[in-house]
Amino acid sequence: MPWQEARKKMSKMKTHYVGARIPRVDARDKVTGHAIYGFDVDLPGMLYGATLRSPLPHAKIVEIETSEARKAPGVRAVVEGRDFPFTFGTAIKDQPFLAVDRVRYVGEPVVAVAAETEAAAMDGVQKIRVRYEELPAVFDPREAIKETSPLVHPNLEQYPNSGYPVVPGTNVCVLRTYKLGDVEKGFAEADEIFEDEFSAHAVSHATIEPHVAVAQYLPTTDHYTIWSSTDRPYLLSRELADALGIPTSHIRYIVPYVGGAFGGKNTLIAEAIAVALARFTKGRPVKVVFSREEELTATQIRVAAFMKLKTGVKKDGTLTARKADIVWDSGAYVSNSNGVAIRGAYTIFGPYRIPNIELVSRLVYTNKEISGSYRGYGTTQVSWACESQMDMIADKLGIGPLELRLKNAYVEGDRYINGQALHGVGLKETMEKATQEIGWGKMRQPSSTVKRSGKGMAVILKGTLTPTNSCCFIKVNQDAKATVICTTPETGGGQKTVLSQIAADAIGLPLDSVSVTTPDTSVTPYNDAVGSSRTTFHMGNAVFIAGQQVRRKILDLAGKALKTDPHRLNLFEGKIHEEGVGERITLKALVKQVFGPAMDLLGEAFYNPAESPLLAADPGLNGWDGRMSSIFWMFATHAAEVEVDTETGVVKVIKVVAAHDVGQAINPVTCEQQIEGSVIMGLSNTLFEELKMENGRILNDSLADYKLATFLDMPQIVPIIVEAQHREGPFGAKGVGEPAAGATAPAIANAIFDAVGIRIKDLPITAEKVWAALKEKKGKG
Amino acid sequence: MNGERHQTEVDPQITLVEFLRGSLHLTGTKEGCGTGDCGACTVLVDGNPVNSCLMLAADAHGRQVTTIEGLANDGALHPLQQSFIDKGAVQCGFCSPAMILSAKALLDRNRNPVEDDIKQALSGVLCRCGSYKKIIESVLALAGSEKENV
Repeated sequence: MPWQEARKKMSKMKTHYVGARIPRVDARDKVTGHAIYGFDVDLPGMLYGATLRSPLPHAKIVEIETSEARKAPGVRAVVEGRDFPFTFGTAIKDQPFLAVDRVRYVGEPVVAVAAETEAAAMDGVQKIRVRYEELPAVFDPREAIKETSPLVHPNLEQYPNSGYPVVPGTNVCVLRTYKLGDVEKGFAEADEIFEDEFSAHAVSHATIEPHVAVAQYLPTTDHYTIWSSTDRPYLLSRELADALGIPTSHIRYIVPYVGGAFGGKNTLIAEAIAVALARFTKGRPVKVVFSREEELTATQIRVAAFMKLKTGVKKDGTLTARKADIVWDSGAYVSNSNGVAIRGAYTIFGPYRIPNIELVSRLVYTNKEISGSYRGYGTTQVSWACESQMDMIADKLGIGPLELRLKNAYVEGDRYINGQALHGVGLKETMEKATQEIGWGKMRQPSSTVKRSGKGMAVILKGTLTPTNSCCFIKVNQDAKATVICTTPETGGGQKTVLSQIAADAIGLPLDSVSVTTPDTSVTPYNDAVGSSRTTFHMGNAVFIAGQQVRRKILDLAGKALKTDPHRLNLFEGKIHEEGVGERITLKALVKQVFGPAMDLLGEAFYNPAESPLLAADPGLNGWDGRMSSIFWMFATHAAEVEVDTETGVVKVIKVVAAHDVGQAINPVTCEQQIEGSVIMGLSNTLFEELKMENGRILNDSLADYKLATFLDMPQIVPIIVEAQHREGPFGAKGVGEPAAGATAPAIANAIFDAVGIRIKDLPITAEKVWAALKEKKGKG
Repeated sequence: MNGERHQTEVDPQITLVEFLRGSLHLTGTKEGCGTGDCGACTVLVDGNPVNSCLMLAADAHGRQVTTIEGLANDGALHPLQQSFIDKGAVQCGFCSPAMILSAKALLDRNRNPVEDDIKQALSGVLCRCGSYKKIIESVLALAGSEKENV
């Protein structure tokens, strides 16, 4: 097994770059303005696309009149749903490229126009007339689950479905249930039962780079080439091929730098419009860039969740049972929210030993903007419920929130809810370090007499989608420069830097001799996605194995060339040293001596954790139940300190400490970036962000009205890296990108409770809600 | 434009960002909203930070415009660019040009900014990756330095 051999070497290796604070390798391109993003792609003959969108949440399309648009100056193609009558969706194939017969949300694409300029395309759109016949709509998923609700997809059970359990004749497009032990017995054993309802709202990913795609179709070969800002080009090319009924090899995805993704750029969004148009532009490429209004109203948002939690606890704080009922708002199509409603839902049980659990998780269609993955894949929503209720339990029982969590928290070897033995569990250390740094238990003097200070904490666990594939090539050329050839988009997470560090150490080259390619699915080999915090672990392992393979080849060549035992040789920083002798030859000189002027040495590797013994679950489980293990688990604790203005309800976050168990930091700088950034994102969506909706229409469709946190909202942030080494991760690493997002909201809510004794259960925490709760408390008191 | 003189006719309704990106191919200037809310299109006009999506290209007539491409000098990075790299202030990088130019405008008028000055001066530029802390550190590292004046 190449993996096991590589593994042995890894544990003995002295690393030069792995673990060091290395400046990012992509930073120079980015600070000079030379980095090319999807947004910057500009091709000869390129046309521009614009989209006419539905003004109604639910309606039949009676008539579409496009003749004026077709005659408009500069217009080259006008495409409506019946011209490109395909549907897509990896879980449930429910989504048309452009609406056919029926629209299901305000903002759904109805007609697309390609023209010589953006302005001409928009003028073309203005000239289209559509007649609708309005249908009853449903906006609240708790209404939509009722049998009396209007159906968003009357033909739900006829859609091709890759095994997702739907409830026929309803809006429930995924139903997932799971049981462990006997909750009724667990409740009977409890001294106290807590029943609460929480909600986590929809928020926009709001990447500063909008969704963008350039598509080109060559009719002679039936091939599409797509330049797009996405984090999963291979999965999208498969989805597209599947929708169009053509081989995946007929779709080529090229991914320049991505200007932020956070889970919002991994489904067919701008691509759907660009591809539909490109089919009709006679080989000319079409660029589609979403406006900010489209970004906020017609892309993909976090899946809103309504969560009921019933938890049984003994007087000493031991958790005995938990029943969770979650209703997820899918919006008009499933997109990839199926995974949120399944994998995301499990973590509502938190990183705690609970012997008896029961889960009902329902994903429900509504006539609203499409929901989908958002940094954390459901974890941000369910942690809100879980961690808020933990503090409510602690308060009632008179146990400290830290003590209650420590009492129930997972430790190494504990069993996950499917029986998987947990490995690499640094949870307690994150709790200890975060609370120590925030000054847990110490009161802070508020800055004015009308303000009250408080501290709160929250913990989180997050798995990674398992098993998934990653493969890569490495070539080392005659200049002793290595190229890692892989399909790992750089979305801002530092992917190129981390993979370069691993490659440099695995081969024995200086870091500046290593580069990582831009993904191009016609050349770069298969990788599932940048997502699920999986890149460092999966692609990191593949790069390490391929790097070791090239290194072996180099040392064998050197052994022959230098007439010595290759096992006495070492390659370090591009130079070959012999044990007891010293430097013998540079890699560059060796390649020239062996091969002449030009040559590439090649390595290749594949990594998939499917065979890992770490995944072993309860043998009695099968189907969905059997697929709950994660190859690694990430843990974090966020501790927040807030100041609440008792007169206005305004909450100011003073400090957030975020301690993350990352396994091993390949690069502490990139880990800190993820952690600090996630604190800001968490603070932003907890206190400021909210999509205001009226009859299915999003009212705040600009960044002036949809408020993101700015410099002025930033608290003191202290990132802490905890390293509970993972025995199968590259150099012990796990991941960090997603779990960072989840714990901030409940930590803030718990700090507010500590400050003023009010409990906000529905996100976001606005000043109005705090003020109203303070008033109510005063009235009661 | 970055020290070069450009003589050209522009469509009266073309914005400065459209002109920079479309006609001059200076794609280092980004656009995130087109309504002056995100700040990603910030350039310097006569040394002052301006949302180039809100300024007509024609209004740049006779003005000195500096974009991110104008900061490095024949491969030698501006100290702010180097500081952003060294302090880890770059993630996805889409806002980096605007952040750096806004910071340059600040340092050009105030050599010794404190944290609050930096927060105020840069608050018009949004960073969704949340690099705010490290961006402040990058600018603070140059406070009081004499090397600013590029």
